[in-house]
Amino acid sequence: MKAIRWSYFGAFALASLPSFASADEPFGWAKNRVDEVIVKPVSARERGGGFSRGRPPPRQSRIRITQASESRDASNRAFVPFAIDVRWGSSEWNKDDVVGCVYRESGKVFVKIGDGYRPAAILLGKDLEPVAGVCVAAPPPARS
Amino acid sequence: MRRWIAHLPGRVFLLLMLAGFGLIASASLEYFDFGTLPGFMLEKLPLRFESLWLFTLRAHVASALLTFPLCIALMTRFVQRRAALHRVLGRVTGVVVLLVLVPSGAVLALDAKGGALVSAGFLLSGAIVAGFMVRGVLAARRRDLVTHRHAMQHVFAQMSVAVSSRVLMIALDRAGMHPELAYVIALWGPVLASAAAVELPAACRGVLRMLAASQRRAALSRFEPLKGTPS
Repeated sequence: MKAIRWSYFGAFALASLPSFASADEPFGWAKNRVDEVIVKPVSARERGGGFSRGRPPPRQSRIRITQASESRDASNRAFVPFAIDVRWGSSEWNKDDVVGCVYRESGKVFVKIGDGYRPAAILLGKDLEPVAGVCVAAPPPARS
Repeated sequence: MRRWIAHLPGRVFLLLMLAGFGLIASASLEYFDFGTLPGFMLEKLPLRFESLWLFTLRAHVASALLTFPLCIALMTRFVQRRAALHRVLGRVTGVVVLLVLVPSGAVLALDAKGGALVSAGFLLSGAIVAGFMVRGVLAARRRDLVTHRHAMQHVFAQMSVAVSSRVLMIALDRAGMHPELAYVIALWGPVLASAAAVELPAACRGVLRMLAASQRRAALSRFEPLKGTPS
């Protein structure tokens, strides 16, 4: 039992690695925000579900910003899309395990489930409905 | 003393199942926190009928949490020696297994993570449970205790998959196996091994009985020439 606890602690420690993203790094603020809102709390939650049929906690996770520049949605709010990759043991990285976007001004994080985007708190068990219009880049304004 | 040692593996197995039940029960508490979605469900989102699926999952977990310890109790000599108690507990278990546990498990199996192969594994396990439960009940009603015991051993063996598959999943995870492959192995391995664990000893007993019978026949045939000799 102690060994299992240690493995979860190890998974938690490794999962926390992306938190070292520097603020100077491009979109370091976005990575830190995703780490704070998703990676750390989800790892902590997964530590509690030891003897279930649920997926075991990944040994490692990494956050990728999937776009070189910010986008703006229909309400002209800036956001950047991200993806979280995970891996177990020495296996290959499981890409795009979680996909979503993080808003620069509000710091709100959304994750894609099916065709819609829901607030990231759904990954912590909150029953939340998809939010229309978020994480979708508005088409560039037409030239007159 | 020899009898106590002969029953030791069975007792150890029941104790391990009881410990496994405790761990499953503590991990299942989140299913009954109606304010949050369980982590197991989050893996499956989006679901077509979220509320219905969650209701089915809760019914399945609740029925399993009731019937699994009852099955453990029914397998003990203490309860087996008390016929009236065994009958009452057996009836409650049979009704809940056939009316709630197996149907809800079949519904959840259709949407199991891991695809058709995993669905087939859960459906096979459920079919073994339902089929042998009916057979065992009918056998008990006609006082055929040998068939009843054999059938209920199959039911309990398949219910023990809940524990053995979780243990195997943890072991395979620690060995570094990818969870998707581990999930398939950790389901099919225990389902087949549990069926074999019941059938193999029964088959061995059958073979031994046949051998003993043929030896008896051979021994008798040695005296057959004497039948024709004049006295």
